[in-house]
Amino acid sequence: MATANAWVGQSIKRKEDHRLLVGEGQYLPDIVLPRMVVMGFVRSIYAHAKITSIDTTQAAALPGVRAVLTGADVKHLGSVLSDMSTPNLPGETNRPIFWPLSIDEVKYVGDPLAVVVARDKYTLEDAIELVDVEYEPLDIVIDPEYALQADAPRLYPDWGDNVLYHQHIPAGDAEAAFAQADLVIKERFRCHRTGGQPMETRGCLATYNPGEGLTLWLTTQRPHIKRHLLAEYLNLPHSQVRVIMPKDMGGAFGTKAPLYREELMACHLAMKLRRPVKWIENRQESLMNVGQGRDQIHQLELALKKDGTILGLRDRILADCGDARTAIYVGFAMPFLGAMYLINGYDIPNVDIDLTCVVTNKACLTPSRAFGSFAGRFALDRAVEMAARALEIDPVEIRLKNAIKTFPHVSAVGVHVDSGDFPGSFAKACAALDYDNFRQEQSEAWQNGRYLGVGFSMGVEISGVPSEVLVPMERQPGFGVATVQFDAHGKVQVAEGDSPHGQGHETTIAQVVAGELGLSPEDIYVTYGDTHSGPFAAGTIGSRGASYTLSAAVLAARALRPKMANIAAHLLHIEAGEDDFVFRDGHAILTRDESQRVPIAKIAEVALLSPTELPPGMEAGLEHTSHFEAETAGMHSCNVHAAQVEVSPDTGEYKILRYVAVDDAGQPINPMVVRGQIHGGVAMGIGNACMEEFIYDENGQQLTTTLLDYHIPSSLDLPHIETIEHNVPSPHTPLGSKGKGEGTPGMVPAAVANAIEDALQPLGVKITDLPLTPERIWKLIQAAQSKD
Amino acid sequence: MKRSISITINGEVYEETVDQRLLLVDFIREVAGLTGTHVGCSVEGRCGACTVVLNGKAVKACLLLAVQADGASVLTIEGLAKDDALHPIQDGFWEKHGLQCGFCTPGLLMTLYEFLQNPKHSDEEIRTAMSGVICRCTGYVHIVEAVKHAIATVEALPPEERKEWFPV
Ligand code: FES
Ligand code: FES
Repeated sequence: MATANAWVGQSIKRKEDHRLLVGEGQYLPDIVLPRMVVMGFVRSIYAHAKITSIDTTQAAALPGVRAVLTGADVKHLGSVLSDMSTPNLPGETNRPIFWPLSIDEVKYVGDPLAVVVARDKYTLEDAIELVDVEYEPLDIVIDPEYALQADAPRLYPDWGDNVLYHQHIPAGDAEAAFAQADLVIKERFRCHRTGGQPMETRGCLATYNPGEGLTLWLTTQRPHIKRHLLAEYLNLPHSQVRVIMPKDMGGAFGTKAPLYREELMACHLAMKLRRPVKWIENRQESLMNVGQGRDQIHQLELALKKDGTILGLRDRILADCGDARTAIYVGFAMPFLGAMYLINGYDIPNVDIDLTCVVTNKACLTPSRAFGSFAGRFALDRAVEMAARALEIDPVEIRLKNAIKTFPHVSAVGVHVDSGDFPGSFAKACAALDYDNFRQEQSEAWQNGRYLGVGFSMGVEISGVPSEVLVPMERQPGFGVATVQFDAHGKVQVAEGDSPHGQGHETTIAQVVAGELGLSPEDIYVTYGDTHSGPFAAGTIGSRGASYTLSAAVLAARALRPKMANIAAHLLHIEAGEDDFVFRDGHAILTRDESQRVPIAKIAEVALLSPTELPPGMEAGLEHTSHFEAETAGMHSCNVHAAQVEVSPDTGEYKILRYVAVDDAGQPINPMVVRGQIHGGVAMGIGNACMEEFIYDENGQQLTTTLLDYHIPSSLDLPHIETIEHNVPSPHTPLGSKGKGEGTPGMVPAAVANAIEDALQPLGVKITDLPLTPERIWKLIQAAQSKD
Repeated sequence: MKRSISITINGEVYEETVDQRLLLVDFIREVAGLTGTHVGCSVEGRCGACTVVLNGKAVKACLLLAVQADGASVLTIEGLAKDDALHPIQDGFWEKHGLQCGFCTPGLLMTLYEFLQNPKHSDEEIRTAMSGVICRCTGYVHIVEAVKHAIATVEALPPEERKEWFPV
């Protein structure tokens, strides 16, 4: 008999925390193998140059150095990208040819061109210094608009231009919509280069022997996907490649989803040297190579009626993808998805979107939390705000007027949104901020020379990505998968195919499985990360934990109940089936006579240790694997965020006084964990929107290669973030749960920018560009004042 | 150039001959094998993940050479709990979900270990105390709650017991 899952909605303490709190987590840098050597890269100091010579003699002669390789030594491996490792999207695509090390030419500062292997990292650093590279600088292209010009230098001469990807996305009749418009908002929005940057950098440890093949410990969100791409690239049978994400990983946020040149290099060296090869990226390399996301220009037009109804949208999106040399995403999967998600929580029937992705002499764009949509969310919610001001309509009202109202909803460009409630979310946000009285307070403040403002943003956030989207996009499945397996002592192992690293799966999956089986979360242990001991899945991406993976665990647990009931009935010598039992307090309990009960531990013991007691003919064992795929092409959560700020007009400095996040987790499994995900997402959003920026100078030199220059917010930089639940259970998951946290940063830039602009209404500034640094705000104030 | 040094970590003495340029954080992680202390930046001293308590003061172990710590007493995350009893700061983090990936956690715990000996109570003061350690996952909200939890625990303890939790 189905009972409500007793552990759902409980904020229990996390099972993963104890080991981390006593210093016994196991992260990649902690793993040490006998005979291990360490690997490091010589990287380009030019943004674009011919390599005229590489002299490795001195480095190779240094005691303790085991190998020095250059591009010429890896050419035989072939180009990294294959059909399998390149997004398969409907637009026109160019594919770069490249190797783990650059050959003859470097294309950005930080481009790996030689590799050194040494017995320890101190020797390694000395040796890297001794590699002597001579370059002949070439013309560079740093600005994406310049990249499109006919006279711009080419990164890949065989392409004919610098366009990596182009797609036109029309839907409805945008031309007619604009012809009917009472108001057209037309603006150029620019979102800078910023993104993930986890606290643990990338790293890997590769080992090879011809018997077992290759084992790669890797900081990755997607061990199974990496495995099959590695097998393909290294020309090994799939059975000879094993990828392991260590038990613990210090964050990823999208940056550990692509397949990188460095990890291919480590595998090749392990095979060549026949000894374990370890690579730990340093922070400088990390800032030069990963977490560089966003970076888009939007020429956005919005057609509106006088009453605020949005009739149509046009957008010319230009994405700066850098050198495009990582596998799986190749720099353009993000802007593609961002374009598909541009209209987002708005119901806009007529759209005309044109997406152009260019290559430049910068590091390749990598995925970052709010995959591809951070820039577009900023642009559209800013444009809506401008329209509200022009039409003198309240910003909440104009959003409610255009928000998705009925569910399920299919957007003009085909995105399915299953459930949500924007009016309810807005009501909670407004109540929290006492919005009704705020306008009064604001005008009084203005009279006293204080500038207070409120800004809103709204949007839908991906709750997992279904196979229907993921198969065409990345040639990978979207299903969630879990194996639920009793041990002989009535404890349960859940093996999942994803690789969580802070999201709390060990706890939330234990909660739901415990609830389905009448056990306690303490009885459940969750394993993951090793391709040789867990089921195949796409990995930890796109908020699919609570939507897809956890749902698979629920289904697998449920699938065990008929067999458990049959064993219990047999042990009780009665005729009964699944519907006659409840599973509660560690027992299978007969509902018609609760004194008739069998400990679940006994059922497991019979199934595994003493199968002679099983009903005649029943197969031993108690385990099941389920693959969960939602019966819809998209699940989402609908959210409203609001920021309240005070701006100093003299300096452009501002303080976020309140940040209120109203979020929809469907049915939260562990509300404390959900809050943590939202806090972190908002924090990254504020960092990315307000203070973080990867800056390249006119020579393509990256100026932000330390954490002092690339400013990740500290505890003093962030406000207290308030979270409010407004949950609409998904009709497509067994418990109504939704994934949470991946898209959260995308809510932030418009909320904060709208608030700042609102505060400065008397001065008439217009914000179109990120990041929202005090300097930028100050300049806008100066410009507005000199106009008067 | 090598030198013989002796460093006491979590009450155990490590007498080793090390390269002069060996960083203290590498001594802790690689020589003593205490990998609970993390490295999150390249000797910039910004991330704070490597923070340990050295002679009673929270310091960034990537900014010191091991030879500079010759004769010193160091406390790391592994030395916080007493057998199975967690230190009040560990307990606060567990109760209030003060960690997600856990990578910054050693640095925060050791920084806050020092702070808790003489705790201040406002959000602003708590946030100031921990501003030297970057957390990318939590947005710090739950960490502030964790610290408040720990302060309450510590302040409710009888003085003798309270002292026992702060041996260095
Ligand atoms: S490792 Fe980052 S401050 Fe020491
Ligand atoms: S918990 Fe991940 S960096 Fe703090």
